[in-house]
Amino acid sequence: MRLVFARCTVDYEGRLTAHLPEATRLIMVKSDGCVAIHADGGAYKPLNWMNAPNKLVEEEGVWRVSNPKGEVLIITLHEIFSDFSHEMGIDPGLQKDGVEAHLQELLADDPSFLVEGLELIKREYPTDLGPVDLLCRTSKGETIAVEIKRRGEIDGVEQLTRYLDFLNRDPLIKPVRGIFAAQEIRPQAKVLAEDRGIQCVVIDYDEIRGVESNRLRLF
Amino acid sequence: MKFKCEKELLEKTFSLARRATPNRSGTNPVLAGLYVELKKNKLVVLGSDLDLTIRIELTVGGEEDGKVVIPGALLSDIIRVLEEGQISFETKEDEIQINNGKSEFNLRTLPVDEFPKFEEPGGNEATINTKSLSNAFEQVVKAASMDDARPILTGVLLAAEEEGLRLVATDSYRMAIRDIPGTEILSRDELVLVPSRALDVVKRILNEDKELTVVLGEKEAVFKIGNINIVTRLIEGEFPNYKGLIPEKNKNKLIINREETLAALQRVKLLAREATPIRLSMTDKKIELLAIEQDIGQATETIDGNYSGEEITVAFNPDYLIDGLEVISTEEVSLETTDALKPAILKGLNEENFLYLLMPVRVS
Repeated sequence: MRLVFARCTVDYEGRLTAHLPEATRLIMVKSDGCVAIHADGGAYKPLNWMNAPNKLVEEEGVWRVSNPKGEVLIITLHEIFSDFSHEMGIDPGLQKDGVEAHLQELLADDPSFLVEGLELIKREYPTDLGPVDLLCRTSKGETIAVEIKRRGEIDGVEQLTRYLDFLNRDPLIKPVRGIFAAQEIRPQAKVLAEDRGIQCVVIDYDEIRGVESNRLRLF
Repeated sequence: MKFKCEKELLEKTFSLARRATPNRSGTNPVLAGLYVELKKNKLVVLGSDLDLTIRIELTVGGEEDGKVVIPGALLSDIIRVLEEGQISFETKEDEIQINNGKSEFNLRTLPVDEFPKFEEPGGNEATINTKSLSNAFEQVVKAASMDDARPILTGVLLAAEEEGLRLVATDSYRMAIRDIPGTEILSRDELVLVPSRALDVVKRILNEDKELTVVLGEKEAVFKIGNINIVTRLIEGEFPNYKGLIPEKNKNKLIINREETLAALQRVKLLAREATPIRLSMTDKKIELLAIEQDIGQATETIDGNYSGEEITVAFNPDYLIDGLEVISTEEVSLETTDALKPAILKGLNEENFLYLLMPVRVS
């Protein structure tokens, strides 16, 4: 990672034309070739940037960044205050909280978070179409297939519908009903799910892992 | 079966009865249909998902008695788009023909013998004037949970209090309590949990000119309004001890204009997407609403109000706060708080019969 603090002007030519007038800025050049120009404010969004793959040509007082799409970023350096590089090594990547695997693990431990009295038959129940996240049984003996997503979209409902079609051909477990569980369910997905007889359950991730939620409850 | 009826009447009837048909196809596909039975000039239309049943009687121009089950969603959609005027129905083997002007629809019917037989439950019967009830249902029903995972919270509690009837609903984040003095449909200390879905239907058809008769059975309740009967299965289980959740005394009290605050909330809410709360900062000099959406920006608005108490910032889910303000009928409302983590009480100024309890959202 190379960081350059400089007084500069920046001109971009591509899908539109943009100009940053002369000011002090931070220019970041990442090892993959991405170039970003930051002001001293805002959380993460640069004033201007070029995603890799890029070609950076450094000339006297001028950097020229171009990419195969024909976009060009010209950084005119009027004064350089600092220019240093640091080897950062391989990044392990973002480990998002609430990933599906963890949700599945927590709900497999206690499916009653979904419906009172629900008990696990098998996690990752195998079918020819792929494994169903959870196969459960209600207190009334009804079989339930659960599909778990972090964000519930129409694709997830379609996936569960295919599983249900398949599972309901098995005389040993049919009839099988579906539960679509997610931290957040898009309204279109909810309508589609309910139209197909699939129950939607919004999961409070903090609650099921025992972390105090910001959404305070009365009881 | 053969009859004729005006579109306006049929449209209202079928769209109401359809509210009871299940969203899910379930194990009994015939329930997706509306049961229609003609005897002379009396037409009975019935929709049900076995938990909720809506039965409507109307007078039509009957020509030939009969009964049929017609796909509910399709029937309702067809009637809605037909031209004004008279619509005629005639069954032909396993089809029903619907005619109106130049339009003709032939729909396959569902097996009428598979449609469940319904018997209205008996029980204690009481008749109530609907004047205050319509508003009361409006105030309470929205606070009930929509999440089937906790069935108890999807109901509205009807409780007999010393002065009359009390309605309570909560989704655990907020709670609405409405007293209707002088209304007695329950025996002393009796509690009944009615699905909010059923009361939402009752609310839609309550008319100040008519009376509502409530029949409470052991496991079911019937709401009768004119020619419409709504039968619902009652929810079994113990409702949370709501009385213990109401703070006896709150040290901070804000009095604000209801409509001005609602308008300000709607503006600030534009910068509070999804689960972002709105912060309400209160001092004796300034009342301010603030929404911060990381990566987008923030919105602030000061509102006029009288505040007594310590300087405090409390954050709320804006939708829940708006829901509470919308169902209060007074011009001015009071918001009482203790601290940023304890329930706040929202109520109309000098309005003793309605209370809306709202949990804050924790913010850093």
